[in-house]
Amino acid sequence: MMINFLIGIFLASLIISLFSTRLYKLLFWYALNSLSLGFLAIYFGANLDDNGMIIAGIITVLMKSIGIPYFLKQITVKLQLVRQVQPNIKIQHSILLVPAILVFTFYLSEPIMQSMGQNAHYVAVAISSLFLSLMLMMEHTNIAPKIIGFLSMENTLFLLGVTATGGMPMLIELGIFFDLLMAIVIVTLLLNRKEI
Amino acid sequence: MTTYLLTLLLLLLIAPLLLSLIKSIKMFLLFKQPSSIFQGYRNFSKLLSKETILSYESSVMTRVAPFLVLSPLLVTLLLVPPIVKGAFYIDFVDAFTITGLISLSTFFLMLLGLDGASSFGGMGSSREAFISALAEPAMILTLFSVSLMANNLGISQATVNLAQSFPPEHIASFLFAGISFFILLVAENGRIPVDNPETHLELTMVHEAMILDLTGFYLALIESASAIKFVIFSSLFVSIFIPFGLDYPLPLALLAFLLKLLLVVVAIALLEVNVAKLRLFKVPNLLGLAIVFAFLSLITFYVLGA
Repeated sequence: MMINFLIGIFLASLIISLFSTRLYKLLFWYALNSLSLGFLAIYFGANLDDNGMIIAGIITVLMKSIGIPYFLKQITVKLQLVRQVQPNIKIQHSILLVPAILVFTFYLSEPIMQSMGQNAHYVAVAISSLFLSLMLMMEHTNIAPKIIGFLSMENTLFLLGVTATGGMPMLIELGIFFDLLMAIVIVTLLLNRKEI
Repeated sequence: MTTYLLTLLLLLLIAPLLLSLIKSIKMFLLFKQPSSIFQGYRNFSKLLSKETILSYESSVMTRVAPFLVLSPLLVTLLLVPPIVKGAFYIDFVDAFTITGLISLSTFFLMLLGLDGASSFGGMGSSREAFISALAEPAMILTLFSVSLMANNLGISQATVNLAQSFPPEHIASFLFAGISFFILLVAENGRIPVDNPETHLELTMVHEAMILDLTGFYLALIESASAIKFVIFSSLFVSIFIPFGLDYPLPLALLAFLLKLLLVVVAIALLEVNVAKLRLFKVPNLLGLAIVFAFLSLITFYVLGA
């Protein structure tokens, strides 16, 4: 029940962030998204008795739901980025597009679900969130929402890893975090170079 | 049957209280001197004692429409889910009936706005048509997906089923339906992100523009209709989406129900203080979000079974 609830919050915050037009709200929804992901990882880790996953979950909560949004907000203030981020895809189109993506990916992941067993529909949610965060990257021209789209794509991959595999090695998770940190550093360099 | 009638009476009595409570919580949050929570009753009695004046241009519609606005809502109030154990309820009412009755009331409200022949009334009617046309599909989808989750198409029976055995495997789609219904609750009752009930500025008003010409008894009818609409929506919300407390003994169940209503009221007051009113052409975005979530809840239930 708890897992279903957290997955629900994960998907809901991602969908709301597709419709939001302000950068700070986008950051807030991203933080909520990561928070639910972190609690999910902690819950899974406690169920599986996997200390590595619990640690990964705690790091997710600290870093992704508090650290990165705060950091991005600082950068936004410092570089005076555009805070009104209007999606390029019109909202009336994305009202049709988002359900279409959801239906498509839910049916797309049906073969995987049949071969999976118990955690089957989490995989479907993870794949559909992957497509939705791709759409979040596509529909914005400004760089800051694109970063958030990239980060939420990373979130969905983490979700896929947590739910589908039943416990990744902790080394891989830390590697993902390190990748993320590198990506943030590179993005910051880009932002400093070219003030869009 | 007595319990049923008593709960109906209770719902009717607390209807003005809820709206005044929202207002006083808002004023408290804005560091103003809060108005009395019984202001709704005072306004009602004041309007009853006032003289009723009708515009020269108005036809017979203005005289009958307030009753026609109120009566579908009163019928809907008879059909709301039970709030205590063992109360009588009507179980053939599905999503279409409730939505249809509420939109019937909205239809007569729009006619009333047009009938006064003032430009404000026509403007308000067109805006109301614009909003409610977008809200209705989302409402049907939401109620339908909830009643599918509870294994019964009748709303009242569905809420009883939910309170007795909540399906924990469906909580994700339940959450989506809850988000969608909360947006609808805000939109249909004209609360702040969609419509500001306290202003009479011509650029923003929707509900107030339609009833601008009314006075006295007719205005009292319309005001009580909007209070009853709020009670219907909030009691539907709490009995569908916060489904516990139906099995308690009678005083405790009533207390739990009132506490849940208070929760909704505080949530709406907090939302109203924190959120700016949307531009009229941004309202479809919010309602589109409601449609997306309603659809998502249905598709999650069907395809994933979650």
